[in-house]
Amino acid sequence: MNFYLSVKKIKLTILAVFTLLVLFSCEALKTAPYDQYSYQKSIDIKIDSSRLMDEATTSYSSHSEEIDKLLIDMEKMVEYEKNKPNNEITYAMWKLISDENKNLLGGFFKRWEEKETLSQAFVIEAKSQVMEAMDMLIQYEGKKDKDAMSKLLQIINNQ
Amino acid sequence: MDFEKILKELKESLIRLLNEKYKGFKNESKKDIEDFLESSKEKLEKWSKLLLNGDITPGEFEWLLKSQKDLLALKMLQKAGLSKISLGHMKNNIIELIVNVVKGFL
Repeated sequence: MNFYLSVKKIKLTILAVFTLLVLFSCEALKTAPYDQYSYQKSIDIKIDSSRLMDEATTSYSSHSEEIDKLLIDMEKMVEYEKNKPNNEITYAMWKLISDENKNLLGGFFKRWEEKETLSQAFVIEAKSQVMEAMDMLIQYEGKKDKDAMSKLLQIINNQ
Repeated sequence: MDFEKILKELKESLIRLLNEKYKGFKNESKKDIEDFLESSKEKLEKWSKLLLNGDITPGEFEWLLKSQKDLLALKMLQKAGLSKISLGHMKNNIIELIVNVVKGFL
């Protein structure tokens, strides 16, 4: 009987140590949870960008107010993502998309401002690139949702 | 225009970019770049034709090529993030399993 109790204790100790090890190693893998605000705001920015990019064959100055509003929205989003814990990936993605020295959304508006108007063919191609980038961001946030949903379902099913 | 030469140059500059700025992805980067270039071939050919027809300027062509590089960086970030999520999920499952096993002993 004592022998079985000792084996049980050893097994429990091993499992407890293993659990702690896994828990500690999980620290490095933490990602910010799904955020409905981030998801919704990313879609809003995508739609507004799409609409504004279509106007880039006309003068920048005639759209400067709407563009400024969008750029501020984007800046706010970068700041929001920056301050969320364990959110390095989403923050880095937003920085890349909004950076005016890169060649995605921020870079497109910078070029439009510099050239005042852009050619139809370029706008079509650049827009397709930017929309692809925005989709990656939205899909990434959405993937967090799927993970959250499956965990939620597990909890519900275990009740 | 030597399209294969453009691809080769693009590939080299992509590898340089990844090695300089995204060191964490170094091991997988070469294969990812090849896969990405393969999937980008269609776009690159289209842009080359637009350039040759005078529909876009050399500056615009360059802008689009660079946007492809930025998309790759974004793709790598997304990929790293997704594997983080699935690894995290897997570890959560392992923890649940261990907790359940331990509970069975109590």
